[in-house]
Amino acid sequence: MAIRSRRPRAKAALLPVLLTGALALAACSNGGSSAPASQGGGTAAKTLVIDTSFNLKTADPGRTYEPTGLIVGKAAYDTLLTFDGSDVTKPVPSLADSYELSADGKTLTLKLHQGATFADGSPVTADDVVFSLDRVRDMKGTPSFLLDGVKVEKTDETTITLTSKTANPALPYILPNPALGIINSKLAKEHGATADPGDKAEQYLNSASVGSGPYTIESVNISSQVVLKANTKYWGPKKPVYDKVVLRNVESATQKLNVARGDSQVALDLSGDQVKGLPGNLQVNKTPSANVVFLLANRNSAVSETTSNPKFAEAVRKGIDYTGLLELAGEGSVQAPGVIPSMILGALPADQGAKRDVEGAKAALKESGVTDPKVKLEYPSELTLNGLSLQGIAERIQANLKEVGITVELAPSPVTTALDNYRNGKEELGLWWWGPDYPDPSDYLVFLPGKTVGLRAGWKAGADKEIEAAGDKAAAAIGDDARKQAYVDVQTKLNASSPFIPLIQPSQNIVTAASVTGLEFHPVWTVDVADLGTK
Amino acid sequence: MKLPQAWRQPLAIVGGVVAVAWLVIAVAAPLLAPHDPLAQDLPRLAPPGPGHWFGTDQLGRDILSRVMYGARLSIPLTLLLVALSVLVGGLLGACAGYFGKWADETIMRFADLVFAFPTVILAMVVAAALGASLANAVLAVLVVAWPAYARVTRGLVLGVREREFVISGRLLGFSAWRSLRVDVLPNITGPILVLATLDIGTALLLLSGLSFLGLGAKPPSPEWGAMVASGVEVFDSWWVATFPGLAILTVVLAFNFLGDTLRDALDPRTARAIKERAL
Repeated sequence: MAIRSRRPRAKAALLPVLLTGALALAACSNGGSSAPASQGGGTAAKTLVIDTSFNLKTADPGRTYEPTGLIVGKAAYDTLLTFDGSDVTKPVPSLADSYELSADGKTLTLKLHQGATFADGSPVTADDVVFSLDRVRDMKGTPSFLLDGVKVEKTDETTITLTSKTANPALPYILPNPALGIINSKLAKEHGATADPGDKAEQYLNSASVGSGPYTIESVNISSQVVLKANTKYWGPKKPVYDKVVLRNVESATQKLNVARGDSQVALDLSGDQVKGLPGNLQVNKTPSANVVFLLANRNSAVSETTSNPKFAEAVRKGIDYTGLLELAGEGSVQAPGVIPSMILGALPADQGAKRDVEGAKAALKESGVTDPKVKLEYPSELTLNGLSLQGIAERIQANLKEVGITVELAPSPVTTALDNYRNGKEELGLWWWGPDYPDPSDYLVFLPGKTVGLRAGWKAGADKEIEAAGDKAAAAIGDDARKQAYVDVQTKLNASSPFIPLIQPSQNIVTAASVTGLEFHPVWTVDVADLGTK
Repeated sequence: MKLPQAWRQPLAIVGGVVAVAWLVIAVAAPLLAPHDPLAQDLPRLAPPGPGHWFGTDQLGRDILSRVMYGARLSIPLTLLLVALSVLVGGLLGACAGYFGKWADETIMRFADLVFAFPTVILAMVVAAALGASLANAVLAVLVVAWPAYARVTRGLVLGVREREFVISGRLLGFSAWRSLRVDVLPNITGPILVLATLDIGTALLLLSGLSFLGLGAKPPSPEWGAMVASGVEVFDSWWVATFPGLAILTVVLAFNFLGDTLRDALDPRTARAIKERAL
């Protein structure tokens, strides 16, 4: 394809066609050849093939934080607490039978379940729990922050206390994270596990699992596939249904082909447009994901004289056609009324979402005193979120705001470049999303002035005393009702005057074969393999 | 008026007709296009049909109109790009060939350096370093395109430089510049013109390739490469990527046909074959 070639002629013109063909072939063979386990989805009936686009770095629970890693971790490692189905508003027992938060919110006491065993038959002890949690916290891996400043102690053989320096009512919601899975400390130590950054067990944990979960890890290849095997001695009430579960790394267009022809039984990441026109014998599960896509208008006047004007943010908020964005994102997506997604405690009711009001937007723009505004909208160009590309959303916003009289220049860039500008608070307008680290509203206090995301929008501490006071109150609130009220209050205030404009929660579309039962999308671990059954 | 024999070839006529058609579309797009290429007011991902003959894209924009407006971006930029490559490459190559010695060494070694990199990768690096925009993409392609002209021009100038008429010009006291312009240039334009025409296709491919990778046209401008890229996301809706792809295909083919014809016409060795094939 060199421009210097002497006779490019028809050959050159054919190149794109050939390339497309070759790519399509490569994509197909990726789906087809790595399918040793699938037999048309029926005969063996005990093997389940799940297709997903891998985001997987390790299968070591203490280091994992990627969506695919959490699926694997959830299947192989039990945690102290868990969630029932997709309800994340209430933690339920798993390895711990009960939990109790002290009145000051600083101490969490857990009673361990008696009779729980690891896959090798040995019992789960309080020492295993202490070692597992200490290891995650002190190894300084990606999920270490979940337990930052939390002291783990064994009071007696069946009691564990977790002590935090400040009130930490979110802790019961953090414990179900598969990164905090309990490992068999004896076995892990034999293979180099230590509770400090010198830990050497990762390689071993990528080839075997030392958990008490319903499945065990047979093999892990972080770029192509993960094979899980049933833990026949599983201690819990939900016995594994499939003998073998294979997770394959397949790009979404191929996932659709595979699941349609019975080559796989579950396809995890289809876009709203891709789930249209599937054969009728497949089940389509469309659930709003926990990712909230939002727009930020930088408050730092050094970054932009225009967007730092609060009235300008109001004009943008009123100028966006939210229904139009939902149409792009496809069925199952919902508008985000506040920064906290619908399934988490303290989410705003759907009817409090912003509505389009072109006249109001024009009025706000006039009031702002900015004439003929031109702003740059930055976003990561190549990323898709639940199959939805941010590109389309950005182009739609540009068209919406043009009607209001705001000229938006789109500035897509590769995610690494875009992230830099975002994290350093240099974007005039930015289009991003926030996925919860754990399903608790306290994870959303980062949007307040002076906090992580607030600073990214140039919102410095002290910029809005009233919101900051409401945030402090929410952080310290104890008890579901009080917390809910406090977080609703924070979000109402954020919607009135913050630099953030929550847009939508795109739908997570999961397609399964008719034979698969029990699938529910989960905002933390996407899907719990142990929940899947067969007809 | 009768066309010269060399142009009465089937491929030449097809190429000429298609190229002229695209030029007309590029010039008259605002009159021909049925919709505003940026208006998002049609149903999303509608298949080709009445009202939108090429279908609509993810945002409900008319693809026919976008393809037509795309010609206004791609074709002029490609022509400009090739013209610039000829100018820069030709000038440097002529200097290298005419003056020889250190000028030759410096320029040609630099050209070799550029040749040593894979074209597309080097263009990507340059475009990425400069930031994504069509102007920068043109600059990036220019960086990788000029050495071909420099090398060809140098070779041609070397061949002409020692001919009697050039030497006699020098003896009459022509300056180097005048000698190049008056004696050398007219004798080397033919081959360079052929190379340039053949290159239009490759230049367009490279330019849309950069846009495809997100290093060229900025959204929402209807650039063909960027349109193909957005079509890849919705593989099931084949029309989104197919029509801009066909636009690229036809333009590249047309200019390649024209380039071939031009070469045949200018090359005395192929003259007889042409006579036999002429319509």
